[in-house]
Amino acid sequence: MNLFKISLANIREKKLNSFLSALLLALGIGMISLLLLLNQQLDEQFRKNIKGIDMVVGAKGSPLQLILSSIYQIDAPTGNVPLAEVNSLRKNPFVKTVIPLSMGDSYQGFRILGTTPKYIEHYKVKVAEGHIHNASMEVTVGSKVARNAGLKIGDTFASSHGLDGEGDQHDHKKYKVTGIFAASGTVVDQLIVTRLSSIWDVHEHAEAGAGKPEEHHEEAGGEAEEEGQDVTSALIQFRNPMGLMTIPRQVNTNTSMQAALPSIEINRLFSLLGVGIETLRAIALVIITIAGVSVFVSLYNSLKERKYEMALMLSMGATRTSLFLMLLIEGLFLSVVGFFAGILLSRVGLMLFSKAAEQDFHYSLGKFAILPEEVYLLFAALAVGAIAAALPSIGIYKLNISRTLAEE
Amino acid sequence: MITSHNLKFSYSAQKKFQFPDISCGDRETLLILGQSGKGKTTLLHLLALLLQPESGEVIIGGRSIKHLSHEQIALIRAKTIGIVYQRAHFVSALSVIDNMLLSNFLAEKDQDRKRAIYLANELGFAEHLSKKTSQLSQGEQQRVSIARALMNDPNVILADEPTSSLDDLNCQRVIDLLKTQSASIGASLVVVTHDQRLKSEFSNQVIL
Repeated sequence: MNLFKISLANIREKKLNSFLSALLLALGIGMISLLLLLNQQLDEQFRKNIKGIDMVVGAKGSPLQLILSSIYQIDAPTGNVPLAEVNSLRKNPFVKTVIPLSMGDSYQGFRILGTTPKYIEHYKVKVAEGHIHNASMEVTVGSKVARNAGLKIGDTFASSHGLDGEGDQHDHKKYKVTGIFAASGTVVDQLIVTRLSSIWDVHEHAEAGAGKPEEHHEEAGGEAEEEGQDVTSALIQFRNPMGLMTIPRQVNTNTSMQAALPSIEINRLFSLLGVGIETLRAIALVIITIAGVSVFVSLYNSLKERKYEMALMLSMGATRTSLFLMLLIEGLFLSVVGFFAGILLSRVGLMLFSKAAEQDFHYSLGKFAILPEEVYLLFAALAVGAIAAALPSIGIYKLNISRTLAEE
Repeated sequence: MITSHNLKFSYSAQKKFQFPDISCGDRETLLILGQSGKGKTTLLHLLALLLQPESGEVIIGGRSIKHLSHEQIALIRAKTIGIVYQRAHFVSALSVIDNMLLSNFLAEKDQDRKRAIYLANELGFAEHLSKKTSQLSQGEQQRVSIARALMNDPNVILADEPTSSLDDLNCQRVIDLLKTQSASIGASLVVVTHDQRLKSEFSNQVIL
């Protein structure tokens, strides 16, 4: 027999009330915690892939779309631009690297990206098996692609047109897997990387097959960057920040391309998402407040019912402070249960969200460790429980033992 | 052993009580009879130290209870007085045995599970120890509350209308238990009631 045992017995006695209080608290905590987790992991994913890319050029259209499609590989590309125009940027003294990208085909939902070896250098990905592709129609696949699509070294496959895996198959020319990248946590994990020339090859044949007889031409081997060809976009690195001042404007006014700055676009994306996140956070706070009120009402009601019990315990030698502690333990216990249920709930939520994101975008958000902010959340939950318990406890200090015992 | 001198108490200017001195030695019994409104419960609460008298004093076990803090009084009450109320009340969330152990806990004494089981056997509710108190009949509940009052080996047992809600059979049983149990631990037994059935049971009587 101790205060803790009495408190637990009281909580058990009011199962439904206690359950409701803990449930509300769990929902509020769970929502906030899920928001924190998503925020942190999306932020991490976005920042990691953006690193070192100062500018993206591509066909005119939505700059955000250009960034999403070229860096994160999650939106449709804006269109094509001539490779010649992209390459002319190399002449600018402020430009350090230009990495042209060509996309539009996929295999089992994974995008096939035609690019130069610079792309692989930029993301610093290592090859786990085999070697990096060194001829047209050879590919190196990301770790997630290899796992999910079941591709091994030496396998061949036909790509399909479009990015959703439901387009026509280009089955007259097959890709051959020569290497598999080690997992790096970057966008490369979910890509099939090949040469720019492979993409051109596949599509020239497609056109030929569609009835336009065209002279068959052999790939010359090596890094063929043929003028007169189109690419989808290009990632640009500047030599120094001066590039940022002049080049985007030059590109936008003097060429058929547009320039998009990842940092600006991503900040804009986050501020757009931010409205939604703020709303959800406000709802979560309201739920937590309601949970606090629920704990309060539950304790207050039971205190009214238990007034005689309180007087009885006081007449048996209990101090008012120990009864106050008893209520406090009840409030805090519900807070702690609510908190941990909420944390659990947010992890389940994250798991479901991650599954959905994995399916739609091939991004995984699988980090379930406790965030530092969640420690604050625990303190907030404890404060809610303590306040909800403390308010009705004022009644204990005003209780007239003799009158209460005499009245019943 | 409990005695009182010149106890006076007033709720308001119109509602004043002056009580006759009472005295009840160890192993003795005392019946305080009175009609409603005569201040029976007030006297019992004064003797139980639940109320502070306007004047006069209560002496328990040779010790005058005056000029003590609330905490000291609460502890003295817990350790030296066992109270049986008109209707048995319990901490409803706790089982019968936990309600009995609660009086040990609140009096800051070791929790004597053996004594609780012994008393339950003596008073005939041993099979109900792990039930909730609300599952017991009124007679059983009253017996549990007597057992609870005995848990701390008090000097004095005060009973407020212990039989008024019981039938004749249970009334006799409860009063016998009170007498034998208080005698067995050497305590004074003071019963406050308007129940005329008890008149023949006590030789010492005070009429309010």
